[in-house]
Amino acid sequence: MQEQEYFGYAGHILYIDLSRERIEEKRLNIQDIDTFLGGIGLATKIVIDEIPDPMIDPFSPDNVLVFMTGPLTGSPVYGGSRYVVAAKSPLTMAWGETHIAGYWGPELKKAGFDGIVIKGKATSPVYIYINDRNVEIRDASKLWGLDVFTVDEAIKKELNDNNIRIAAIGPAGENLVKYAVIASDIQPNGPRVGGRTGMGAIMGSKNLKAIAVKGSGKIKIKDFARLSSILSRLLPLIMSSPTAQILAVYGTAGEVEEFYEYGDMPIKNFTLGIFEEYKNITGQSFREKGIVVDIYGCWACPVKCWKVAEVEGRRVRAPEYETIASLGSLLMIGDPHYLAKVNYLCCKYGIDTISTGVTIAWAMECFERGIITTMDTRGISLTWGNKDSVLKLVELIAKREGFGNILAEGCKHASEIIGKNSIDYCMHVKGVEMPMHDPRAFKGIGLQYSTSNRGADHLYGVFFRIEQGQRVHDLKIYERVDRFAYKGKGWMVATMELWSEIQESMGLCKFVDIPPAHVAGLYTCVTGIKKTVPELMNIAKRIFTLKRLFNIACGITNIDDTLPKRFLREPLSDGGARGEVVELEPMLKEYYEFMSWNNNGVPKREILEELGLLQYVEKLRIKI
Amino acid sequence: MSELIFGFNEEQIKKDICKVMRNLFERGLVSALGGNVSARIPSAKEFWITPSGIFKGELTPDDLIKLDFDGNIIEGIGRPSIEWPLHATIYKVRPDVNAVVHAHNPVTLGLALAGVGLKPITVEAVMVLRKVETIPFAFPGTDQLARLVAEKASIGARAIIMQNHGIIAVGANLYEAEAIAETLEEVAMAQFVAMSLGKEPPVIPERDVELYYKLYRLEK
Repeated sequence: MQEQEYFGYAGHILYIDLSRERIEEKRLNIQDIDTFLGGIGLATKIVIDEIPDPMIDPFSPDNVLVFMTGPLTGSPVYGGSRYVVAAKSPLTMAWGETHIAGYWGPELKKAGFDGIVIKGKATSPVYIYINDRNVEIRDASKLWGLDVFTVDEAIKKELNDNNIRIAAIGPAGENLVKYAVIASDIQPNGPRVGGRTGMGAIMGSKNLKAIAVKGSGKIKIKDFARLSSILSRLLPLIMSSPTAQILAVYGTAGEVEEFYEYGDMPIKNFTLGIFEEYKNITGQSFREKGIVVDIYGCWACPVKCWKVAEVEGRRVRAPEYETIASLGSLLMIGDPHYLAKVNYLCCKYGIDTISTGVTIAWAMECFERGIITTMDTRGISLTWGNKDSVLKLVELIAKREGFGNILAEGCKHASEIIGKNSIDYCMHVKGVEMPMHDPRAFKGIGLQYSTSNRGADHLYGVFFRIEQGQRVHDLKIYERVDRFAYKGKGWMVATMELWSEIQESMGLCKFVDIPPAHVAGLYTCVTGIKKTVPELMNIAKRIFTLKRLFNIACGITNIDDTLPKRFLREPLSDGGARGEVVELEPMLKEYYEFMSWNNNGVPKREILEELGLLQYVEKLRIKI
Repeated sequence: MSELIFGFNEEQIKKDICKVMRNLFERGLVSALGGNVSARIPSAKEFWITPSGIFKGELTPDDLIKLDFDGNIIEGIGRPSIEWPLHATIYKVRPDVNAVVHAHNPVTLGLALAGVGLKPITVEAVMVLRKVETIPFAFPGTDQLARLVAEKASIGARAIIMQNHGIIAVGANLYEAEAIAETLEEVAMAQFVAMSLGKEPPVIPERDVELYYKLYRLEK
């Protein structure tokens, strides 16, 4: 029988059981492509199919960690650089996923694999070496304890190959810091990190230090001539977008000024609207002060938002907007040199800058209110704007030493340890620390945070772009929306969240803005499989709904679809979002109706039947 | 056979759309990313349209997309022009129209922005354009714009000037629609030159205009 020929897809998934030291290749299932597409869609199906019980401890060997690329990852399609990592999360205690750009995903495809499924737990530290389709589990005892940069160098030296692509964890992942990251494309100019939901800690819990990949194959394209023709003529559209132009020059840091003016950039744990020092930490400022020294770019990226800074003699990825806000304005710090340093330290130890900043902001507010004292912090003064304390805490968190051991739990779990109503100052949704877009400035973002399957999330929907005035004709968002309005946003937020599922399933970057119908066309050129936007949106709904079912099985209810009280009741007295709170309830009502969920946030039987997900009700033991 | 004779073979329509788009591009009536063209087999409830976001000077038939009046893709891949609602609505209200051109005629638009109406200064201005209407600004791609266009199309307009945006020209076939778009610009340019030289351009005598109007059974 002739073997199925794949275009776009590599055609194989690697299954590695670290407990049994067993390596197995499986052919990519065509039916799974049709119903889950690839990337996060396929990862969702595999994680939920393979985890024996949703209530497992995320650090149990039974947790399943999936690395997955999309059909456009490694193709010439602009922004096709990404891979996803998914598992049960130690932060949400439910669904977890993170997404990483760069070159590691394309390299995995060139090595012949669409993804890797990691099960079990190694008895001692290991790393995985993939050289085309030759796979080895290798001893990593000597690598354990090394920071992200050093482990990258050590593996390259051991394998005698400086061009190998490595995804690794730092000490934070080894120490099960609940917001530890996975870093890849570490040197030069990196790393790119998958920061959210603690996937690095899951890797650490499996005693897996790194995955090194080398691929010499090619990704087959069904209609290369047509693909090239469309891509070359699409370029002016992509690069003429104002966002692309800012990103090209300054990276995401170039948006500091605009977000500040909207009242979107959080200050002092989301309590103030004015912070004059923001002017020192704009993208322009990082360039003028010579901190940003170069521009780099991911695979097939015309935008090149990746900027390079020089810190302690290393060329590293410069601070992004989220880092500048979470470890800067959120803590009342407006020093770009400090931001370059703290960003470097977070990368080095392997912790998420957003969660780190929000957790420290929680601690600072508790300190100001007398809930936490120097007795708790072992002498560290947590006053606002205290740069030295933040730099010290980053190290303590990564090593789980002293007060850092509590902060390493993330602000929700830490506030449960501290008690005394400290949860009121913890800015999280479903255990995941809030990104740096204040929902009082963009109301739809509040709905997006509260409904995202992986907790507070700015990238699942990127709805602030819509509230800045972007329209998406292909998804029937024709009119510009008022950022402070709440009526009529339920379906729009849901629609954008669903489209994000497709972007993450394709392996596409959201900062290279290709309109949905073009994405559908490019997918057809690459794979030879025809999908229209409505068909893709149906797949998206299947992926999103399946994650929701998993979350319900993990104990998530409609009560968790909310925001910290601060956003619902406490308006800011100054700034671009002065006087606003989030009217969440009416937006949620619209959202549930659009998603065909009941009032308890549970998908109705009809929609599960329509999406072909009814069998998961039994598997996950859910009441509908 | 009859389809071929009258140029209503679908493959021919696709080639003609690309040719018209190239003509408009070369004449500076559409830009690299602006403008769109559609056409249909007479009375069909589906039409072929140019794609969105793709460089307009080098379109090929493979780039075109066939839509129904609700915007569903019937054939082709990729992204149809975001102005498809405007094209669909014209076909709905005008059974006589089988081709729609949306261009960004710079001089026509400039005169409209200055509040200057086109005058019957040439025979073509009377014979080819016949009925030109103007509508206020609405955002591209919106239902509101489509409604405004439909309103004017339904009263027999052959050309519509969209303030702060561009023009629409409709015809029984692609070449008529293209001719209207080009004539509009030609007349606007002539009128603009005369006015730039400080002269009010003389118009075709009223009596002759009336004769043409009678000939074409037009209301004044």
